[in-house]
Amino acid sequence: MKIKFNVLGAQLLLVLNIFVAFLLLFENKLVVPAWLQPAGRMHPLVLHFPIVILVMAMFLEFFRSRSNSFYLQASHYLLLLGALLAGITVIMGLLLSKEEGYAGDTLFWHKWTGIAIFFISSFIYFIRNTQWYSAPAAKAGAVVTVLVVIISGHYGASLTHGENFLTEPLAVYYQPDPVAFDQALVFDHVVKPILEKKCTGCHNADKLKGELMLTDSASIVKGGKSGKLFIAGDPDMSLLLQRVHLPLEDKKHMPPAGKAQLTEPEIALLTAWIKTGTTLFSAKVSELPEHDSLRMAAAGFLQPAQPAEEKYDFSAADEKTINALSTDYRTILPLAKESPALAVNIYNREEWSGKQLEELAPLKKQVVALNLNKLPVKDGDLKSISQFQSLRHVYLNFTDITAAGLKELSILPHLQTLAVSGTKISYNDLKAQLPALKSLKSIAIWNTPITPQEAQELKKANTGITFIEGFKDDGTNPLKLNLPEVKNKSMVFTQSTQLQLSHPIKGVDIRFTTDGTEPDSTTSFLFDGKTELKENTYIKAKAYKEGWYASDVAEFYFLKCSIKPDSTHLLYKLNSVHQAEGAKSYFDNKLGVIGANNPAWANNWTGVRHTDMGLLCYFNNPATISSVGLHYMLEEVTGIYPPGSLQVWGGESEEQLKLLASLRPPPPPKGGKPSLETVEVSFKPHKVSCLKIVAVPQTNEKGDRRLLLVDEMYLN
Amino acid sequence: MEKEILEHGFTWNRRRFLSAMSLGVGSVALGSLLMPDLFGRGNSVGDEAFKPGIPHFAPRAKRVIYLFQNGAPSQQELFDYKPKLREMTGQEIPPSVRGNQRLTGMTANQSAFPLVGSFVDFKQYGNSRAWVSDLMPYTAKIVDELCIVRSMYTEAINHDPALTFLQTGSQQGNRPSMGAWLSYGLGNENKNLPNFTVLLSRGIGNGQGVYSKLWSNGFLDSVHQGVQFSKGEDPVLYLRDPDGMDRKARREMLDNLSELNEMAYKEMGDPEITAKIQQYEMAYRMQMAVPEVMDLSKEPDDIVKLYGPDCLVPGTFAANCLLARKLSENGVRFVQLYHQGWDQHGNLPFEIAKQAKDVDQASAALVIDLKQRGLLDETLVIWGGEFGRTSYTQGRLTQDNYGRDHHPRCFTIWMAGGGIKPGIVYGETDELGYNIIKDPVHVHDFQATVLNQLGLDHEKLIFKHLGRRYRLTDVSGKVVKDLIA
Repeated sequence: MKIKFNVLGAQLLLVLNIFVAFLLLFENKLVVPAWLQPAGRMHPLVLHFPIVILVMAMFLEFFRSRSNSFYLQASHYLLLLGALLAGITVIMGLLLSKEEGYAGDTLFWHKWTGIAIFFISSFIYFIRNTQWYSAPAAKAGAVVTVLVVIISGHYGASLTHGENFLTEPLAVYYQPDPVAFDQALVFDHVVKPILEKKCTGCHNADKLKGELMLTDSASIVKGGKSGKLFIAGDPDMSLLLQRVHLPLEDKKHMPPAGKAQLTEPEIALLTAWIKTGTTLFSAKVSELPEHDSLRMAAAGFLQPAQPAEEKYDFSAADEKTINALSTDYRTILPLAKESPALAVNIYNREEWSGKQLEELAPLKKQVVALNLNKLPVKDGDLKSISQFQSLRHVYLNFTDITAAGLKELSILPHLQTLAVSGTKISYNDLKAQLPALKSLKSIAIWNTPITPQEAQELKKANTGITFIEGFKDDGTNPLKLNLPEVKNKSMVFTQSTQLQLSHPIKGVDIRFTTDGTEPDSTTSFLFDGKTELKENTYIKAKAYKEGWYASDVAEFYFLKCSIKPDSTHLLYKLNSVHQAEGAKSYFDNKLGVIGANNPAWANNWTGVRHTDMGLLCYFNNPATISSVGLHYMLEEVTGIYPPGSLQVWGGESEEQLKLLASLRPPPPPKGGKPSLETVEVSFKPHKVSCLKIVAVPQTNEKGDRRLLLVDEMYLN
Repeated sequence: MEKEILEHGFTWNRRRFLSAMSLGVGSVALGSLLMPDLFGRGNSVGDEAFKPGIPHFAPRAKRVIYLFQNGAPSQQELFDYKPKLREMTGQEIPPSVRGNQRLTGMTANQSAFPLVGSFVDFKQYGNSRAWVSDLMPYTAKIVDELCIVRSMYTEAINHDPALTFLQTGSQQGNRPSMGAWLSYGLGNENKNLPNFTVLLSRGIGNGQGVYSKLWSNGFLDSVHQGVQFSKGEDPVLYLRDPDGMDRKARREMLDNLSELNEMAYKEMGDPEITAKIQQYEMAYRMQMAVPEVMDLSKEPDDIVKLYGPDCLVPGTFAANCLLARKLSENGVRFVQLYHQGWDQHGNLPFEIAKQAKDVDQASAALVIDLKQRGLLDETLVIWGGEFGRTSYTQGRLTQDNYGRDHHPRCFTIWMAGGGIKPGIVYGETDELGYNIIKDPVHVHDFQATVLNQLGLDHEKLIFKHLGRRYRLTDVSGKVVKDLIA
């Protein structure tokens, strides 16, 4: 029986050894599921057993005697039990170490000493019956094991109770927590620590050297036997700094020779502090000017301002519940990984009903942000909002809520931001409800009936709240209207077309001229949608509206092209970047815009420079033609010019062409603005089946050709 | 005898050893249950912490609006005030300043590099006393909301690589864009709109192209791809039902289609199939949501005055800013605007004035508008281009005209809202505006900071692709703590 038990135990020990070795080998891949974590957490409980039992076993081992079988058995079983318990404890410890918060040197030493205990005691157990296991070896093993147990125990205690657990009561000096930059006071957190380190050892209530005390602000201001320490704002006259700057040998030098001296940066800080003047004891570091030397020095050792991540006192909702309540129009998102807080956004006016809030009851604790912007939310819909006690941020812009809805919100204890822009919430509503919203930090009230004066009142009455007012047009900075636009599908027509002008802004008057003169606000035609265009027309239009400056002049060419060729053919090559649609471009009813020097936008412009622009037009049925026109671009700055000459040839076929007309347009005036222009030649009506149009680019003074860009031609 | 028997019992023999060993092997099997990754299962190191769709820590910002000024606006004429540069106009740039900076092909053959100061004046504004040029009067009024970073620098010297670098963290492309990463990391706030949308506009200045690769999802699931909203009747292409198909018919068609897709997914397991199902479903919901978002007719008059009258002209920067606010307000995580035309190699004074006029009022309006809705706290607005421009002129320097070439060593951007420190000017360049002398911010640092504001650790926002883990910040980048409120 005994033997059986022993065999089982020994086998178990071997198994444990293999298991531990395996865990160690692949430790970095170890993932402990939640259900197993409690086993790990029992490590601090179980570990006491192997300690006691192993120490006992080692005690017996130290005074080992083979003669007494009881003694032999006792030591044997104790050692086996101790080693087994050590193994279990090690496994538990490994599990526990995978949990968050365990890292660093202490853990390292605790872990490896603990593992060592297990392996050493196992080793001793397995070899203690061999011949060579002599008394001295047993003694040495026992001593080593006990020592390692003590060391491991110490590190373990440090892990659990903290590094200084043993020595803590002995620590006389209290080390304060580092203060965040934005909360630090210049005196309390920058200056006082220096004084405490270097001065108050002698200048305190108990010691009072030179009748000077440097422990609090009142006594610092009071000064000592030799008078006041400084005049605030004037470091040059400061007795304090004078003593500091005296040569070390001087009897009056402070701190006295032999004591810890002030460092250069410390002296600089003290100097800068005295310089701050009136707010010596109340100034915050963060209130100092950005490039202030004191601020910059302090920033070096103070904790940087860290927006504290909000801690919530509720636990996360079940993921299934969240998924079940998420719909296409209601998004429920966790703020972050491992954060229990949820943000809810609801969209789609058509789908909205107050139910969408009520249904969220299972998540009432977790919802911290709610976005109902632009939904037709009624006051009644907000009845169920009071259940969301954790709400921090509520957005109700452009909803239908009124004072009653606002009242529902007042029960929310944590509400920090509220947006009611574009609602009917009035001054009186806010005045009545704001005092109830104790945690409120900011509220958006743009586009509500609240006037700027009322907003001012609110600000005065609620200093802790930021009121966001936004932009209100007070008419003092009128803007210029943008240009009227043409809505006609094409500006090229065959017989007649109705002029369609429009403007993006409602209520604008559009006035226009057709004679090339500048439109004005009184005499020019007011556009009413009834203008019929029958000829080539050059329109200049301007937009006017009360409260706005008039627009610039918009110019449009309407081209009449009553005859279209049935096919066209280019005589010469076009520029590589101004290809447009080739021969088809001239009669496709598409006009280009200014700015064609950029090839990407030159879609409708055909261009030539080194060749002529030549087009053959064919008519299936002979057509009677009396004029030919070209629509071209003029942009002097980028070197785009009108044609130098224009010739029109006609006849029954390509072989029988006769010159019908030619024209040399006068050169454009110098320094003009970029514009779109037309040039036209007229001649006696002529019946043709084939028409040849040739436009020759201009040449400059040096005889070089200039760029010619044409987007459309028209025949009448 | 009894003692011998006893000792025999205590002694080990082969049989006992082997039987114990077998148990030991069993214990190993037991232990392996605690090691899910032992045999290469799962994605191992680092990945275990990441679950896409949820921020790593509490975010300061929930959404981003990136007003990208495509073509690289000249910092010398907008935000980086350099009186000394003006004084030295016409003088050759000192070699000590120029250093070994490589040049673009456009100025590499230039024989002289005369410095040129800004043609426009600067003034100081707000409590932050930030210098802003007269070209940006509206932006100047909101400097106390802005965090102006004058010390951005990049590695690329030409538009496409620089743009790609800023947006994807790599110059070569094929990586997910910042918006796609955010979509991946944060998930949808509004399931009826895409997470990442793109709006384009252009000024009359010299322009550079933008390509859809800039809003690519790269190797991420294609649901994270940027969706371009264009002007005109069909803001999202192919979203509208064809004639003769009503919503009910569409619903039935989608239900049947998704059944087929589910079957295909079961058979092949390609995640792109599930992405496709999701996209069809979202498109169906977008058919309702998009017209509502695009409708500008209900905007109050004050809003038109705030953004300027162009905000009602589709396709302008102002209209896109207004739209960006509406999309963002509706939970779109990342709205990317591009305004083209900032590439002033020549004719700079004329072109930059026009460009600035295009964007100044609307950019400032966007910040004000978000604020007055209480949304600026959780929306990060970023304004800036892909690199800076040289302190010396490109081409001829005349009395009133000059140009500036590409310059990667420093450029200025600004950010507002989203937990970024308002009312500060960060970083400094030398007197000639050529080198950074204080607090440099690398593109990866900037990206890390943006991710940080959204509650994402740039080192943990990773995706394993082709055997390696990728990040937006590649292998570098530090969060710039000084920029954070």
